[in-house]
Amino acid sequence: MNPTAEQIQKINHFSKVHIDMCAKIADVVQIQECEPKEQLLTEGDTGDTMVLVFQGQVEVSKDMMVKTASGFATSRKPIIRLETTDPRPSAAPETEPTVFVVEAPAFGIGEFSLVLDNAIRTAHVNATTPLKYGVLGLEDFTNIVKDNPEIGGSVYFEVAKSAVNNLATASGDISNLTQAFFFALTR
Amino acid sequence: MNTETPLDQIQDSEVSAKELDEVLDANKDLYDKLNQIPEIEAIEAISLEEEITTEREDTANPFSELIDKINSFYRENELVRYASWALLLILLSTSALTYLEYEMFKDSVKSHTDEIGGTFIFGENEPNVLDTFFHTFWWSIVTFTTVGYGDVSPVTHLGKFLTIIIMLLNFGVVTLLGGAVASVLVAQRLTGDDTLDENKFDGHLVIAGWNKTVPSILNLIDSNKDSNSVVILVNETDKDIIQRSIAGYERLDITHIPENFTNESVLRKAFLDKAGAFMILPDSSGLLPHEEPDEDKTVLTCLTAKSISEACNVIAHVLDVENVSHLQRANANEIVIPDEHVPHLLAKHVTDPGVPQFFDDLILQEEDDKGLQEVKIPKTLNGQTHNKISAFFKFKYGWLLVGYAIRKAGFSLDEQMGESGSPLIRNMIKEQLDGAGINLTSDEHVIVEINPADDYKIDEKHSALVLR
Repeated sequence: MNPTAEQIQKINHFSKVHIDMCAKIADVVQIQECEPKEQLLTEGDTGDTMVLVFQGQVEVSKDMMVKTASGFATSRKPIIRLETTDPRPSAAPETEPTVFVVEAPAFGIGEFSLVLDNAIRTAHVNATTPLKYGVLGLEDFTNIVKDNPEIGGSVYFEVAKSAVNNLATASGDISNLTQAFFFALTR
Repeated sequence: MNTETPLDQIQDSEVSAKELDEVLDANKDLYDKLNQIPEIEAIEAISLEEEITTEREDTANPFSELIDKINSFYRENELVRYASWALLLILLSTSALTYLEYEMFKDSVKSHTDEIGGTFIFGENEPNVLDTFFHTFWWSIVTFTTVGYGDVSPVTHLGKFLTIIIMLLNFGVVTLLGGAVASVLVAQRLTGDDTLDENKFDGHLVIAGWNKTVPSILNLIDSNKDSNSVVILVNETDKDIIQRSIAGYERLDITHIPENFTNESVLRKAFLDKAGAFMILPDSSGLLPHEEPDEDKTVLTCLTAKSISEACNVIAHVLDVENVSHLQRANANEIVIPDEHVPHLLAKHVTDPGVPQFFDDLILQEEDDKGLQEVKIPKTLNGQTHNKISAFFKFKYGWLLVGYAIRKAGFSLDEQMGESGSPLIRNMIKEQLDGAGINLTSDEHVIVEINPADDYKIDEKHSALVLR
């Protein structure tokens, strides 16, 4: 089953795209369902698809090296949870969130795959509720943009915006880590 | 002052008496004006009030103080607690017996005194209630302590029955008292010394190590009336030597802990976590005159102190410059190196004769309330400029303000990171540093600002360095 054009337009990246164009995107996306705990994306994998979540909640997490009592160990640290509001998830999340929950009508994950061949996934994404989602492939999207160049502008603008935001956060992280490093050295 | 004129030209420039007068007159106006600034008057009023309130605190009700003392003594001393309860029980039972067996005890006391032909203390020819009571009390104590002279004994069944109860109760009380005496003795043996009264120690000075400079240090602290008077000395020098050296200070309340100060438990016993300052000196306890003190102990003690309380203000004295870097790594707040100033003083004798003598006078000043001192600036003067503060001290007290000691807040990683970067990374940094026992804020430290520009602004972190 294909999603409706309205469902596509609810996603932030496509909010400025005309409804007719959204219908074109909807045509190449299939709605799929999955159960809680199922892994949608794996950190470190490469992929050329963007996941569009229409209903449900997902948790974004990263593998981190942390020091424990028995030495260094890799542990998966949740970063954030994303939840749809239109419609709301069909069930409450299986585990209580320990991190911030961001709400949006619907959302897309892995948007860098729309511009990059084989973009590396920077985090794990797991379902925490029953999920309705679709997968948009890079090739399908590129073909649509080729035929309808006006889509590109607004979508690529949103992708660029999130790339710039990520960059700012990353440079903040680097400066924090550097400070912490020097701080730890003087102790 | 920040003047452009090179120093040697000050002497060369010709100043007539008239010019000098003009300068002085102009400044007089300025000083008069400064003296009239409303803040100063307001502050005078405030400081007067402060004096009055402190006086009031000083003359607190001696009766309530006595009650407080007795109360705390009762709470902290197990032995006293049992003894007072035992005494109360004895008195109660004595009163009951006096009341119930009045006739018997009265007859007994009468026959006793008749035998030796004495008179009664309270009644004249006939024993009265008090005599009888005392007699009963005597009997009670004789029975309680299991001495049992047998000069008095109950006759009636009721008396015997009551005595049985008292003897049984006595069993418990004597056992408790005996136990308490034993436990106090054992506790003293275990701690090696009588335990220090915790309430007294807050913001006190702990001095680890003993050498010939300690009496001079104590002397100087003794003469500064604003400093905390409670001092704990921790060292293994012979008790007699310490006792002789610490006698005769007017103000100081000195306690000596004769144990190894590198031990954490010993430092804790000196309530280091509540101490205002911790001084570590090269320890010559038990050394022959030509032997050098072991300075590794100083570094080790500094590390131990910082592990007990990160906030502890550690002042370390080292003889060997090589140890300075170790102490810095151990986070000592202030490090004093004795010979540091010597080259400067020697050179100044040649280049600026008088300056070294001035320093000597300033630092070695032993007269009370003279020389260079750090004084607090009234809170209401926060935000004022240097020239006003300077005028305030000059006119109110006649002191010369030479600079400021500024308590610089430590560096806080948490504050520094703020909201930048992702919360995940920030939290992880905090968690990991916390887990590794690294404090996220560094210690406060003191820096000095000497003779700043007139418009230099003062805040609550400043305290004044004045020449009195």
